[in-house]
Amino acid sequence: MSNGNDENGDENLGERLYVESPIIMATVRVVAPFVLTFGLFIMFHGADSSGGGFQGGVIVSTVVLMVAIAFGIEPTRDWVDPTTIVAVMGIGVSVFLLIGMGSVALGGRFLEYHAYPVYHASKYGIELVELAIGVIVASVVVGLFFAIAAGVSHGDDAEPAESEGLL
Amino acid sequence: MVTITEGAVVALLAGGVFFGLVAAVGLLRLPDLYTRTHAASKTDTLGAGLTLAAVAVVYDAGLPTVKAGLLLVFLLITNPTAAHAIARAAADQGIEPWTAEDGGDEQ
Repeated sequence: MSNGNDENGDENLGERLYVESPIIMATVRVVAPFVLTFGLFIMFHGADSSGGGFQGGVIVSTVVLMVAIAFGIEPTRDWVDPTTIVAVMGIGVSVFLLIGMGSVALGGRFLEYHAYPVYHASKYGIELVELAIGVIVASVVVGLFFAIAAGVSHGDDAEPAESEGLL
Repeated sequence: MVTITEGAVVALLAGGVFFGLVAAVGLLRLPDLYTRTHAASKTDTLGAGLTLAAVAVVYDAGLPTVKAGLLLVFLLITNPTAAHAIARAAADQGIEPWTAEDGGDEQ
């Protein structure tokens, strides 16, 4: 199976003759950690001022998109394989639901942070929920990006099973 | 009267507006993608850069100045790279640069 994929990749390279740009790769290397930090900052900022999980999640997902555009989409897809993306999505949703239902279990309403016996419960609760939302948004955006990119690079047969059958 | 800080802010803002205007004129008047990227990226980097420098000067010292300075640094790193990426992708897609033979009807 890996052989088949490699042959496919070589064919594509032969057609397009695209060589990665060292300038773009260097810039992405420099900027990526700062973008990730900024995304996390926006996520946590949502607890007490403008910002939040949705904006922060999109910024965090930009890191993976930048890496994919600079170093090639297929190597990046191998690096973060789609199973991981779906798993991260699931973890985000479960964390959100756990925080929400936890307050119900402690005798409050859904997402009623005061039910938790913690100092400043609503602040930390909102921050955790924002983080969970950010994780969901980031993984969904990355997944959509890879789904769209698959249609471009493989033509009609985006299914791995089909390309295997062709070879 | 005008203090030194105010004068510096006005001068920086005037520079920023000027380069923004040059970018707009370049986008409208130049014939093809490469020349337009050329106009937009250079003047945009300087225009936004000078405006951010004015912002940094307005907030004498403190967190906003640091933030404006960081924005300035990242703008200077990413803006030329983005222009490079656009021009490179266009060349990769086989878009031919405009030449004098392509005619003056483009005016």
